[in-house]
Amino acid sequence: MFTVFTIVLYAATGILTLWSIVETIRNRPAGKALLGGAALLLLLLIVQLIISIATFGSTHDVDPLLYFGYIITAIMVMALAGFWAFAELSRWGPGVLAAAGLTVIVMIERLDQIWQ
Amino acid sequence: MHTGPGRALTAVYGVFALSATARAGYQLIREFDVAPIAYSLSALAAVIYILATVCLVIGNRVSHRIAVAACAIEFLGVIVVGILSHTHPEDFARPSVWSNFGSGYGYIPLLLPLIGLWWLLRVGRRASRG
Repeated sequence: MFTVFTIVLYAATGILTLWSIVETIRNRPAGKALLGGAALLLLLLIVQLIISIATFGSTHDVDPLLYFGYIITAIMVMALAGFWAFAELSRWGPGVLAAAGLTVIVMIERLDQIWQ
Repeated sequence: MHTGPGRALTAVYGVFALSATARAGYQLIREFDVAPIAYSLSALAAVIYILATVCLVIGNRVSHRIAVAACAIEFLGVIVVGILSHTHPEDFARPSVWSNFGSGYGYIPLLLPLIGLWWLLRVGRRASRG
C-alpha cells in the first residue's frame, strides 16, 4: 500500500482508539467530536479501498479475495461500531469504538502484509 | 436487549463474529484442501460466535441459556484445539481460530468466552433476584 497513506491510517486509528479508551475511563458517552472522528476514519478506509481498486493492477500475486475481504470487513466493523456508539448513551459507546479500533489496527497491518 | 457493559460485550462479540466469519469464508473457498480439519473448525467457531452474538442481542431467558452454552462450547473448543494443536501439529498445518489457545488472535478466543460467561451468570443472578 502507499506508505504515507498507511501511516495516516495507523495514526487515525491509533488516535481514535486511545481517545475512546480515555472517554470510557472518564465515563462519558461518545460526543459529537468522537463520532466525527469515527466517521473520518471510516472515510479514510473507504479512500484506501478506492486507491486499492485503482492501483490493484500494479501488484503481483495479491489475492483479491483476501485483500478486499479484509478491507471490506474493516469498513463494516468501523461502520457498525460507529452506529453502536451513536445509539449507546453510556461509557460503553466509546468502549465499543475502542474495541473496533484495536481490531482495525490489526487489519491494517494484515492489509499491508498482503499487499507486499 | 442488555444495556451498558452487556451491550459493549455484545458489540465485541459481533466484531469477532464478523472477522472470524470473513476469515473462515476465505479459508473454505481458497485453501480448504491444505488443512481441512483446522478450517472446518474455524468455520464452526465462526458459526458459534454468530450464535452467541445473536443470543446476546435478543437477551431473553431462552437466548440467555443458548448464549451460556455457546460461550461454554467456545471455551471448551479453544482448550481442546489448543492442546491438540500441540500434540497433533500435523492436523493443524495452518492455523485455525482456536489453535495454540487463540494466540493468533491475541488470545481473545480464550478470554472472550470467560468474560461472556461471567457476564451472563451475573445478569442471570440479577434477573432471578428481581
